[in-house]
Parts: sequence; structure tokens; C-alpha cells
Amino acid sequence: MNAVPSPLRRVAVTGLGFITPIGNDRATVTANLRAGRHGLVPVEFLGNPDLPVKVAGTVKGFTVDSPSWRNWIWPPEYEIPRETLRGLAPHGVYALCAMTQALHDAGLSADAIAGDDTTGLFCASAGSAMLLHHNLAQMHAVRGERGNPMGVVSSIAGTLNFTLAAHFHITGAVCGFVSACASASHALGYACDEIQLGRLQRVIVVGAEELNAETLLPFAAMRALSGASDPVLASRPFDAGRDGFVGAGGAVVLILEEAGVAAARGARVQAELAGWGQAADGHSVVMSHPEGAGLRRAMLRALAQAGVQPADIDYVNAHGTSTPVGDRAEALALRSVFTDAGAHPRVSGTKGLTGHPLSLAGAMEAAFCVLSLSEGFIPGNPHLVHPDPACEGLDLPRATVDVAPRVVLNNSSGFGGSNVCHVLSSFQRCWKL
Amino acid sequence: MPPQPTSDSAAQLKRFPVEVREAYQRFRSTGDITALHLVVLAVVRDYMPRPVELALTDEMRLIDDLGYDSLAVAETVFFLEDLLEVRIENKELVQVRTVGELRGFVTRKVEQKRSAAA
Repeated sequence: MNAVPSPLRRVAVTGLGFITPIGNDRATVTANLRAGRHGLVPVEFLGNPDLPVKVAGTVKGFTVDSPSWRNWIWPPEYEIPRETLRGLAPHGVYALCAMTQALHDAGLSADAIAGDDTTGLFCASAGSAMLLHHNLAQMHAVRGERGNPMGVVSSIAGTLNFTLAAHFHITGAVCGFVSACASASHALGYACDEIQLGRLQRVIVVGAEELNAETLLPFAAMRALSGASDPVLASRPFDAGRDGFVGAGGAVVLILEEAGVAAARGARVQAELAGWGQAADGHSVVMSHPEGAGLRRAMLRALAQAGVQPADIDYVNAHGTSTPVGDRAEALALRSVFTDAGAHPRVSGTKGLTGHPLSLAGAMEAAFCVLSLSEGFIPGNPHLVHPDPACEGLDLPRATVDVAPRVVLNNSSGFGGSNVCHVLSSFQRCWKL
Repeated sequence: MPPQPTSDSAAQLKRFPVEVREAYQRFRSTGDITALHLVVLAVVRDYMPRPVELALTDEMRLIDDLGYDSLAVAETVFFLEDLLEVRIENKELVQVRTVGELRGFVTRKVEQKRSAAA
């Protein structure tokens, strides 16, 4: 007898949590996204005003710049026990706060997920370069004789999965993703698969990143950062005058649930994650393929899995980091997928407002897409003045568009030519299909 | 002569109450072991993963009574190593089960160091 594969299950987004440069709660993020208000502020690293890094998307309301957790300050509404705190990285503090928010947004208690074998946790983090550097410097100073027992778990790339899984008592599955600026998008994609395949009923997807000298300045050495000191000019995806990205930190959490499970507990379904796709450039360790070949294929694969055509997409949240090469490649890939097919979705790069939070980017922008779908607006490109000629034919609105999109696409690209795209659709569409 | 406090040691105790810092200075300047005990108790309390307001007694077991785990024991011992400039081996570490054993153990280590220096 031949086994008959069961139809894929559907994936609902039921909760969001935000610690971002444009706000530390859903309402503030929505208001700033809608108003086109950026969260970029002047910064100085290592006490050196001569560095060519003048602005960044900082997280407000937290003080986590010390290598010792004992000096950290976070908003008082979040309770972080010492047992958890001692193993966290600075971005782990952001992540724990964002996850607490997301659970609340989803109407889930911490008790509901603790020890629930159907709930998994997928995280994206590059680790904490600051803590790693501090711990290794200490190790060298004492010639390897002793160190911080929490040094490994608080600093290596899996730190979010280790610490959040222990804190929230996750028993379904725990996993981490490292693909640079596509990391959180991979986490979200594979979380979608786990639910569609019936392996898990709920996956909490976490992306987080630190903003400090150790994380950001190595990108200055690559000449990847904007040197502009005016926040409005520094991060302007798709503008002809763009000169690099602006760093950012924070954490964003999305809670995905199998649609039937979400319906059974009366959860508010905010969007459907309808499908995703990925493809690689096979071109360079750092640079995008000049015509965005991998990103183009990733978009087409995402559309195919979601069962939608280019013309169905109302909005694309572009990867758009504001780098000369990356934005051009993405613009050409978008033209190939959409313009050449006679489709004209609105396109915006919300990193113009937030800066680029590296591993976190894909989760943050997927969550922005959910806000766009559930709150009924399309974010604009308020810093865009002179679009790059490579964008000819793309609809890049400057201001927010007060139209509710039905189907949206979220793009991410990372080092090594890793490209990941998600298709998300509105609540109404989700339940009509 | 007892070893002089280093600036690092003083900085490490910055987060502790003034009476603990004074006790540490007293131990450093006079070798007063009673003062050292007060410091050790403060450090034990400081590294409890789930702090509770309990008067610490020698009989209390770090793991079973005070909520310590093996990582917290290691954190405590490493902190004391740095503070008191002594070396504690792993096999010694696993023998420390109670507050009293830790206190006695640290005292012996400090005394061994003094005899070696004499």
C-alpha cells in the first residue's frame, strides 16, 4: 500500500514581540513604522570620535554595554532571575524581553509552553563578540588557569537557544541558525516547515543582535558602513547616494502555530506564513551576485510554495541594507521577478528607519510585514530622494501607503550568497482559502 | 606579612556592602580570619542562582539547600581564587558541599599560601 502524504498544515502568526531601534513594544513600533520615524542616533565607539561610524540604530531603555551582567539595566516590567541572567549575552536580554512580549501578544502563559513537547524554539544569533572577546582576553591574562564558567554559553553563536530554552523550559525542539544577515529568515523558514510537516504545533522564532564596537566595527574594516552623520542620509535603501549600511541592535520574536491549534485555543491570527524559499548565489563570500540571481530564485521559490503569482504580491519588504552593491542586485532581482511579469508591488526598505540588525533582520522585517498585514498599511521609504536608476520600474513609495496589503514578500540576504524569502498573507486571505 | 590587596580585588568587591569591603580590607591588613569568613559568606550569597533571604549557617548545603548548581559553585570558587589569589583544583572543588566546608577550605588555602610565602 502506498503511503499518501498528508496535505501541508497551515502556519499562523499569533504573537509578536519587539525590542528595536524604533520601539520596544508593538504599538510604538507600529506608530513609528507608519509615521516613517527612524530610530538612528549619533554614536561613538571606543572613545574614538575619528571613526567613520557616526550613527546607529540603538536600543533605548537598556544598558547592557558592560561585560558583567551585574551592571546591566533593563525595563522594570521584565523579571529576569539571576539564574538566567548569568548565562545571557547582552542581546539575550533583548531576546528574553521580546519573547515575554510575544507570548503575551499571543495570549500564551509561560506555563502553557513550559514542558510542552509540541512547542519548539528556533533562534538566530551570531553570538556575542563582545563577551567572547572579554572572556578570551581574561583567559589569556591568567594563562588559561580559570575563566567565567558561563563564558561559553553566554557568548557563542547558540547563546540564545541555550539560555531561552532553559529559562522557558522548551521541550519540543531547540535549534539555532547562523547565516549572517539571513539567519533569522532561515529560522522562520524552517519553523514553518516543522509546523507544515506536523513535527511541531508551535515554534517560537527569535532573532537578536547586539550593537557595540565588537559587533559593528569589523564591518567598517570591510568598508560596508555608511560614514554619514545625518541619520536621514545615512540609511537610505535604493537611493543613488547611499554609501553603506547603518548598524542596529535589538530582538524580535514571532510565534508561529499550526492554524488549527491556534483556532482551537481562540488565538488571534495576525497573518499566515504561506510559504518560503531559499537559493544561493554561488558567487562571492561577501558580495551579492551582481544581478541578484540567488535572490531572484529564492523569491520565485517562495511564491511557488505559497501558490501565488508575482501579481498577487502587494508589498515587498526588501532586504535593502543601503549598500551600493546589495541594493542594486536586489533591485535587479525584483525587476526580473515582478516588473518583467507586469507586476508592480510597493517596495520599501525599512532599514532606512531601523538600520541593519544583521542576524535579527529577517525576523524583524517579517514581523513588520505582519504589522503591515494586520494593521493595514504599507511602510514607505522616507529617506529616499533620488532612486538609483537600477530601480527603474519599481514602485518605491516615499510615504506610508494607507492601504491594507493582502499578500506580502519579505526578502533577506546574507554573506556567502544566502538568500531567503517569505510570503505572508492576511488573516482574511488565510481563512478564506 | 599578608599579601597586599590589589586594585583588581578592590574593584571586584565594589558591588558588595561597605561592611564586606571593610572586612576584606581588615583581613588584608591584619590577616584576621574572622573578617575573611564574613567575605566568604557574602560571596556565597552573591552567587546564589535564586537569591533567598536566609541567614547562612555552616551546615547549609550549597546545592540542596541554597539552590546552587555546579556552575554557580564554579563561579563562586573562581571569584574567590581571584580575590584571594589562591589556586583551587577541580578535585578540591567537588569536595566542597556545604557553606562550612567552603569556609574551612578557603581558610586552609589562605593559610597554606601564607606558610609558603613565610
